[in-house]
Amino acid sequence: MNKNETAELNRRDFIGSFATLMTMLGGVELMTHAPVQAADLETLVPFQIKCGVIGLGNWGREIIATLSRLKTAQLVAVCDTYSASLKRAANSAPNAKGVEDYRKILDDKEVQAVIIATPTHQHRDIAVSALHAGKHVYCEAPLANTLEDAKVIALAARAARKQVFQAGLQTRSDPQRRFLLDFIRAGASGKAVKAHAQWHKKQSWRMTSPNPDRERELNWRLNKATSLGLVGEIGIHQIDAMSWFLSARPASVTGFGSVMHWKDGRDVPDTVEAIFEYPGGAHLNYECTLANSFDADYEMLYGSDAAIMMRGNKAWMFKEVDSPLLGWEVYARKDQFYKETGIALIANATKLANLTEKATEEAAYTTKPLYFALETFLTNVNTVSPAVEDFSATFDASDKAALEKYVSEIKLLPAATCQEGFEATVLAIKANEAVVARNKVALPKEWFELA
Amino acid sequence: MTARLRAANANPEKYLMNPPRFLYVATLALLPLLPFSLRAAQDWVRYNAVPNSSKVRVDGTSTIHDWSVESTALGGYVEFDPAFDLNKPALGKVSAHCDVRIFVRQLKSGKTDMDNVMYDSMKEKDHRRIDYRLSEMTLKEAPRSPDAPFLFDTKGELVVAGVTNKIQMPVSLFRIGADKLKFTGSTSVKMTSFGITPPTKLAVFSTGDDVKLTFEWLTAKKEQK
Repeated sequence: MNKNETAELNRRDFIGSFATLMTMLGGVELMTHAPVQAADLETLVPFQIKCGVIGLGNWGREIIATLSRLKTAQLVAVCDTYSASLKRAANSAPNAKGVEDYRKILDDKEVQAVIIATPTHQHRDIAVSALHAGKHVYCEAPLANTLEDAKVIALAARAARKQVFQAGLQTRSDPQRRFLLDFIRAGASGKAVKAHAQWHKKQSWRMTSPNPDRERELNWRLNKATSLGLVGEIGIHQIDAMSWFLSARPASVTGFGSVMHWKDGRDVPDTVEAIFEYPGGAHLNYECTLANSFDADYEMLYGSDAAIMMRGNKAWMFKEVDSPLLGWEVYARKDQFYKETGIALIANATKLANLTEKATEEAAYTTKPLYFALETFLTNVNTVSPAVEDFSATFDASDKAALEKYVSEIKLLPAATCQEGFEATVLAIKANEAVVARNKVALPKEWFELA
Repeated sequence: MTARLRAANANPEKYLMNPPRFLYVATLALLPLLPFSLRAAQDWVRYNAVPNSSKVRVDGTSTIHDWSVESTALGGYVEFDPAFDLNKPALGKVSAHCDVRIFVRQLKSGKTDMDNVMYDSMKEKDHRRIDYRLSEMTLKEAPRSPDAPFLFDTKGELVVAGVTNKIQMPVSLFRIGADKLKFTGSTSVKMTSFGITPPTKLAVFSTGDDVKLTFEWLTAKKEQK
């Protein structure tokens, strides 16, 4: 015990005994009321959105795990057509009602928002019905496996002005990526000359089940008729992010794809490459394989002054010797990559925890893109829903145009819109077409327009 | 309790279908007065809030920086006694009714976390609206030019977080075209006078008790049906 503590205790004892003495002498102890505690940002649960998750495969379970960490989410219903998946999900979402028919979730007035994580080719009916039922919708990317379905979903989302629709392009709401976007657009890496992205993993992508029908259903990604392959199902996120950073939409894509390792009768290539040409001459070289895991997944943007590498929620800048001095990089944290020195690019770099985090450390759940994407979705739902309700109670509820104008002027947190989801889906579909046919596919701008 | 009232309580539907005779008599007696009361209500000139055309702003201070929240969703109405003629305004008291309402959740600072702290401090879950009711309006100065405003002194009641306080503020009224009126004004209030503890975050910031409300409120003449 140090001196100060002794003094403090003595002072308290003295005050305490003085008050007791005064009370005993017949005096009234004058106490000030404890001040009302103002809201605490850390513990405040400002709102809870009642959610349902439809589709409980691997990714659906990941979504449930993430929602359970979000204090603004209240998972009230889960849905899967396969009872075993439903049972498995019930363990991580004990308070949620389990249903096999998604329409039961849509009929449930209590459910405000749904997150659709079914196989891609099943999105259309669920997403459109959910929007018609007045639900806010988070639909995984790609939105669909055909242009027609993608357009139907995006148009339904655009028409639902009083609801939030978010495409599952998670990086669009990731604060680290948004920080990089500003940094890149400010010209810190010079003129963008090319880009590279990859996803390497040694895994078959095949799932097993004792039930042959179920096995066929489970392995929808290995079936050409239902899958957009590696470039569409996985690559969509990285290709969308790079187009976003390059501030451009590619004019064409050339694809290559083969079954190199997993020769188990599949017709979906296990190793693919796609080269996207952007107006102005820059290329994005995207490659993806299930046959080798070396160097895992990352994205690179090469500029005339520096290259920027993005890995998960981390990023580094590799400067050219003739690039201008920015100043701050002298003091920034640096990591060594073989013979190259990477200058760490960290959002909120003033937070000590961010600086001491090791380069190779896995992102915690609360710093993963899915966490930010779902957090953004729930916050936006909590902005739009009360706006509609309050506006209708304030003005003439029959004035639809005024209501839509009010909602359209609300500032929402940045997230992938139906237009961005549609554009990324078109890219994914066309890139897969190029990979399957091993040819070049032009991407006229009309394809990206919603009628 | 009379037998008739007991019967009415026991079977309200039957009571409503066969009301007692004195109600007929009372209704017949009041009927001749009806045109006057309808007339009086019609004659008050009513202006309703126009959506997406108004703005309220609350400015405050804190130990780190000043803050502000805004909303464009100011609802309500104002109505004037037909004796008050905007073309020939007489200085002095004006008979008017005015109700303005804002839903607390529609006040936004642009920072979601801070908004949530504000809503919590304003006890939004129990008191969803901020209401203003005019009690007295005095014309101090008529416009000196076509673009100049009418200047009023007003007294009214402001209800925030369930607490009602009387406030006084000067208000300007601008005529916009033939059928619209724009009211502008501002006043300062203390959060604690409405039972609101100025939000604080230990060792990070604390907000000042004084806030300034500024508004621009556009209303349009209600169409006569």
